[in-house]
Amino acid sequence: MLKKVYRCSDTVTGIFSGIHDAWLTKNRKEEAGIQIAGDDEVTLFCEYLDTEESNKKALAVEGMIKRYLGYAAYHDIYQACLSFDLKKGETILGTIAAAKELTDSKKIMDHLSNPYVHTLFYLSRNVGGEAHNLTEFIRFGELANGVLYAKITPKNQVLSCIAPHFADRFPEENFMIYDKTHKMFVVKEAKKQWVLVQDEFGFAEATLEYSAEEQVYSALWKDFVSSIAIKERENRRCQMQHLPLWYRGNMTEFC
Amino acid sequence: MRIQEEMSLNDKLNILTDAAKYDVACTSSGVERRNNGTGMGNTKVAGLCHSFSSDGRCISLLKILFTNECVYDCKYCLNRRSNDVKRTSFTPDEVCRLTMEFYRRNYIEGLFLSSGVMRSPDYTMELIYATIYKLRNEHNFQGYIHVKGIPGASKEWITRIGFLVDRMSINLELPTATSLKLLAPHKTREAILKPMRLIQNKSLESKQELITYRNAPQFVPGGQSTQMIIGATPESDHQILQVTESLYQKFQLKRVFYSAFVHVNEDKNLPARTGEGPPLLREHRLYQADWLLRYYQFKASEILSEEEPNFNVLFDPKCNWALKNLGHFPVEINSASYHMLLRVPGIGYTSATRIVKARRLGTLDFNDLKKIGIVLKRALYFITCNGKMMYPTKIDEDYISRNLLNTKERLPAGISADGMTYRQMSLFDDVNFGGIADVKKSLSL
Repeated sequence: MLKKVYRCSDTVTGIFSGIHDAWLTKNRKEEAGIQIAGDDEVTLFCEYLDTEESNKKALAVEGMIKRYLGYAAYHDIYQACLSFDLKKGETILGTIAAAKELTDSKKIMDHLSNPYVHTLFYLSRNVGGEAHNLTEFIRFGELANGVLYAKITPKNQVLSCIAPHFADRFPEENFMIYDKTHKMFVVKEAKKQWVLVQDEFGFAEATLEYSAEEQVYSALWKDFVSSIAIKERENRRCQMQHLPLWYRGNMTEFC
Repeated sequence: MRIQEEMSLNDKLNILTDAAKYDVACTSSGVERRNNGTGMGNTKVAGLCHSFSSDGRCISLLKILFTNECVYDCKYCLNRRSNDVKRTSFTPDEVCRLTMEFYRRNYIEGLFLSSGVMRSPDYTMELIYATIYKLRNEHNFQGYIHVKGIPGASKEWITRIGFLVDRMSINLELPTATSLKLLAPHKTREAILKPMRLIQNKSLESKQELITYRNAPQFVPGGQSTQMIIGATPESDHQILQVTESLYQKFQLKRVFYSAFVHVNEDKNLPARTGEGPPLLREHRLYQADWLLRYYQFKASEILSEEEPNFNVLFDPKCNWALKNLGHFPVEINSASYHMLLRVPGIGYTSATRIVKARRLGTLDFNDLKKIGIVLKRALYFITCNGKMMYPTKIDEDYISRNLLNTKERLPAGISADGMTYRQMSLFDDVNFGGIADVKKSLSL
């Protein structure tokens, strides 16, 4: 019998819908897998099907994971969904299948000897790590209309991980974070909830107009960063270890 | 002669940052506080580092002096009154503006405000209080604030400021009272330790109060820290570590920071310039030992002794301890206590916890240890799994140390391991000044 592979988009809803369909197939004792859009590798003896994506399917899977695997495992699976790794669908499906074999499925994340679980753990840590770094390294600039604007170019889709941090920190600010890699925005209006927006209109950064004060403060900040360093202790390697070069492209003090 | 001219904010920031950069503490950790829905800011318990300067140190807080005018004449300090440097002061409004604008651009995690002593300690503390009050109440800033206490400040100002800030620290400056007298003639041990004790007592009180009243104001919730200058005076590492240990035990400090002495002044009481730069390796070893005290259940007397008063150049303190106490090894991974696991070189406290958890599910072998994250190339000489060692090795000090040096780990700058056994070297030859009695005496208050 051919293995059924469900194609889905690279979004949490897409992946969860794919898992939903694949899981039903598996329950019929047939082989099933997931392939994420962008991963064009084709395998023999597989039947490729397009997943019909819906919130209903995604919510069903989310509920199932939370109920049987626990919230901690859900957190890891959610973060793995945001990873840059296109094989993440198989990893997640493998982990859920492995959890089913256990007497206590909630302990699934302790079973690091399982290769799927180990990979999932690695992906989740990778996404979490990048999100944490970006909460530190994001630099906002003030636009002429007072909105704070930041651009990031992350490897993973970390926007939804970092948005709550800034929403809590700046309740009275209007801000917007642009993920250039994935063409997505987080937009937050003062005193309102943050929202995730897909860029469908072709956002042009060059049209942004910064406020007059912006120049003043970014210059002050650059001066601060250079005068806080102690010349006698210079250690570029150490700096590079903590703050890798690829973050620096979007940081005010290195531009 | 005093010439006064208006300085731009830019110049002020440059001068007062430059003057503050020798203060070490730039941590924003220890307090978890969510925003209350107004104003700006929150804090994270783990702390966030927003940037790293070219010396590899993190930039977490806007680290500035309020003023670099100073009536004191500490020999090691750039801003001592006998130095002819440009003097300037911020106004409270300028500090608030800088903090708020930097914070909303996510440049910083909060404010670190220190100051030279303008007129008197109390006068300076009052200025600092005015600044912090404005920041907290007028600008509704809820981010992290770390304030330096000025030695000799009165109880009232310390108490008032303590209720507004997250962390407070008073610099111990130098490890012993004798050195303090020599290099910081205007500061006394008593003037430093008294406010330290006050902060300790007040925050204990505040914790008690919080148990009864949920919304009671918190006094210095992030705890207090201090810092010492290393290498300006002849204390041995053993003495410094003893001081550190008693600070942790008697004053319940959160952290003790060490600052490698940087030559900025010429003075007959300071050590001669050597051209070698600040004693960074020594500082590094002190931090390693500091971690052993705080997280690894070590005592200062185990790490160094009167006979061996300085750190080993080639090995970190934990490895050095293991080599000197081979009688405790090898340790059986599947049965050893957590306390003993912590003492194995190559096992950190995270991996020790993981071992304790994982061995409940089944016996561990060397492959599992690798997955858990243990540095086997260091640990293999000191552990057994199910009674077996990884390779047939000898429990012999010279043999192990030779092999450890051969693992091609990066050695500290300027040291090569070729043809040397690790015993031959010592950081400082002139060691036994003062002695430990001196340290104990100077810390009793």
